[in-house]
Amino acid sequence: MKTTKTTAALLGLGLLLAGCSATPDPAAQTPAAQHETQAQALQASDTWAKAAKDGMSAGFGTLHNAGSQAIEITGVSDAAGNEIQLHETVGTGAQASMKQMDGGLTIEPGQDAVLEPGGSHLMFMDLKQPLAAAQRTSLTFTFADGSSAAADFEIRNFSGANENYEHGGQKPEHTMDHSKMDHSKMKHDG
Amino acid sequence: MGSAPSRRSVIGGSAMAALGGMLAGFGAAPAAADAGQTGQPEGQQGGTRQFYGRYQAGILDEAQLHAQFVGWDVIWGEGGKKEQLRALLRMLTDDAQRLASGRGVLADTEAEMAADPAQLTLTVGLGQRLLDQVGAGKNAVGSMPEFAGDKLDERYGQSDLLVQFCSNDPTVLAHAVRAVGKNLRGLAKHVFTQRGFIQPASGAFRNLFGQLDGINNPAGDTRELAVFGTQENPSWISNGTTLALRRFEMDLDAWDELAVSGRDFALGRRQKDGSPLSGTSVADPVDLDAANELGLPKIGANAHVALARPGSGDEVIHRRGYNFVDGERSGLLFASYQRDARTSFIPVQRRLAAADALNQWLTPVGSALYAVLPGIEPGMYLGQQLLD
Ligand code: HEM
Ligand SMILES: [Cu+2]
Repeated sequence: MKTTKTTAALLGLGLLLAGCSATPDPAAQTPAAQHETQAQALQASDTWAKAAKDGMSAGFGTLHNAGSQAIEITGVSDAAGNEIQLHETVGTGAQASMKQMDGGLTIEPGQDAVLEPGGSHLMFMDLKQPLAAAQRTSLTFTFADGSSAAADFEIRNFSGANENYEHGGQKPEHTMDHSKMDHSKMKHDG
Repeated sequence: MGSAPSRRSVIGGSAMAALGGMLAGFGAAPAAADAGQTGQPEGQQGGTRQFYGRYQAGILDEAQLHAQFVGWDVIWGEGGKKEQLRALLRMLTDDAQRLASGRGVLADTEAEMAADPAQLTLTVGLGQRLLDQVGAGKNAVGSMPEFAGDKLDERYGQSDLLVQFCSNDPTVLAHAVRAVGKNLRGLAKHVFTQRGFIQPASGAFRNLFGQLDGINNPAGDTRELAVFGTQENPSWISNGTTLALRRFEMDLDAWDELAVSGRDFALGRRQKDGSPLSGTSVADPVDLDAANELGLPKIGANAHVALARPGSGDEVIHRRGYNFVDGERSGLLFASYQRDARTSFIPVQRRLAAADALNQWLTPVGSALYAVLPGIEPGMYLGQQLLD
């Protein structure tokens, strides 16, 4: 029942869940199927990105590992050639700060990686093209085994964040939900 | 009279009679309304209503206790208008489907508030100007004409986009409206929010004049036929319909001065129990030929029900209105769904505007007409039948 529901929700979103991009195989989406690549184990849902004209933005959603082995996302890219980093938040409240993850994002079998405002997220470092609300953008995840999978991210207005950009460093610093975060630990050029 | 008429044949009786023979052919049409749209157990407060279906929810189904009708005008960005409208409607569809199933929208900052939708429905309609701008739905609904007595406030005028939000829980409703509104920021300009409430009992509710409203609304197949037409004779689009939205302020201070007999005569039904002046029980038909001992009609020619009665099958409308109280102003947020407003709502409203005895206590301040989109299946977006 839960699976049916999820499938319907995914269809509704028009999520593109191609397995290995070289050999898209819809059968590989069945959780029961033997996953050959890490990419085939990925089930992305509720994926969205914050609308922004330029500068920084972020992507969120739930990444589920439907396979029987741990998977590790090592990179994220899009057609526009944006630099997209995997970020995590350390500390809480006013002390919270975010930084690029050390290494990749590992998801144990059967587990979810929840990317959400104030937590881990995908970070667009300096948009080459605007992310316009109500549009969608496709992000490609690359895995430790070299496989890759794409997922559609719906672009939505999001202002839980203070949208002012501060110009402290060489690059504008993003102020998402975690507007009070200390960005000094970020290595934007990294 | 012999045996007492069944409730069904009298509730919606004049509509039923008016639709007459059309009904015979209608029974042959495939699958009446999808279950979950008309098959709501009456009075159920919590839970969900099916979002997907042949028709949009929030039309044929039982009216929820609370409603917000929200209008927006589209803000055009760069690129093709049709493509922009498509993106907007895709987002709205995703929002509506999530909210109806008890989930927050994407980017929702208070998804917890969506958890029990309490029968939440979102029903989407488009104005003719918008349709014309994207080159689709030519002449689908046209624009709402002005009627005698209109004192329209531009705040409640026509918008490009209308979403009728209904739920039994006003908190759920407030969240849904806000969540959708936030997603539309930058894409559409908010034009109005009109809130309403009712306490329905057997398909009718007390309006703020104290009258039982909704008694002679078409029910069942008659309702479906009046709202969506037939396959051969559909609305502006198959499984779509039209929505007439009119805001009437009531002069309750002046209404207070009127004795109950005067009130009953203005309506043609009794305030006490909704019974027509031509009968004794609410289930009795409205009989315009019934006369008293002096030979005078029991229901006056200018009584609201006398003028509002459908003159033919084409004139049958399905009313789904709400009471409103907004600061010092009270009234009725009149909302009706009908296959073609030009042959039903508009002529009926013309008759009423010209002579309805109730007009003395009513001021129309808002008026708009919408092309309501057909229902969809999972994987589709609202408006797809129109734009693809
Ligand atoms: C504030 C404005 C209005 C009030 C207070 C009002 C009230 C009522 C009431 C109390 C009834 C009798 C019960 C019933 O059958 O539902 C009724 C009947 C009806 N009204 Fe209205 N109404 C208003 C405006 C309108 C408008 C604008 C229309 C359409 C243009 C309309 C169309 C009808 C129809 C079709 C009936 C049923 C007549 C029959 O077949 O017996 N009403 N209304
Ligand atoms: Cu970040």
